[in-house]
Amino acid sequence: MSFESVWKVVDRADAAIDPAEGIAAVSDPGFGGIDVFIGKVRDLNQGRPVLGITYDLFEPLVMNEFQRQIAEITASFGPRIKLYVAHAKGRLAVGDVAVVVAAGSPHRDEAFRACRQLIESVKHRSPIWKQEHYQDGDSEWSEGCSLCQPDTEHAHIDGHVHDHSH
Amino acid sequence: MKEIVVQLFGAFSELNPQREIRVPVEGGQVVDLRRALRALLQQRFPQFRAGLVDYSAFADEQRVLRDNDSLPGDGRVAILPPVSGG
Repeated sequence: MSFESVWKVVDRADAAIDPAEGIAAVSDPGFGGIDVFIGKVRDLNQGRPVLGITYDLFEPLVMNEFQRQIAEITASFGPRIKLYVAHAKGRLAVGDVAVVVAAGSPHRDEAFRACRQLIESVKHRSPIWKQEHYQDGDSEWSEGCSLCQPDTEHAHIDGHVHDHSH
Repeated sequence: MKEIVVQLFGAFSELNPQREIRVPVEGGQVVDLRRALRALLQQRFPQFRAGLVDYSAFADEQRVLRDNDSLPGDGRVAILPPVSGG
């Protein structure tokens, strides 16, 4: 038996992402472990005060990528797992929820590891871009992971390898 | 010569309010588009960092394309600068 997972993009102009929805989505009477990652907009980036972030997405491909990432994780952890990912789109203020990833499974180990794997995939492989809006009036697009070589280790713009979190 | 419509995302989106740019391309592969777009940006937007094209991927709505892939038949491609979601 396999469980239904959920993936979505939420336009901030329409709604805020609700972490409780993610928990509900991965809950099941047979699941004793749920792990949730919540990514929020912080007020400082590389020492510069931040007012907010605008997220730009290539939405059709984001949805296809989320589906692929969930399929990969489900394949590696087995069918007894439920996954949830919601990513924001549009202009967010400091403190707003940018992304929620949740994983539910019978035991905590799979939940922790699947949740970690999914948020790393979301950050490194999904066609999503953030533009930081600074207190001094400047705005800058953040450059992270290049998708140029999809069959190999994803290259980072500054050349380092992806055994890290950012 | 084929004309490809490139959808612009991230830093590229600031090049045009319509968020797309038409690129005449000689050849039928993604690598040909990469070369043509880089040259076009250097010519039309000399202040823009055209080298960003080298770090960017191209995609249709289904998947990221590799340089030796054929350009989509409908002539529409997205350019994806390095991603920064989450």
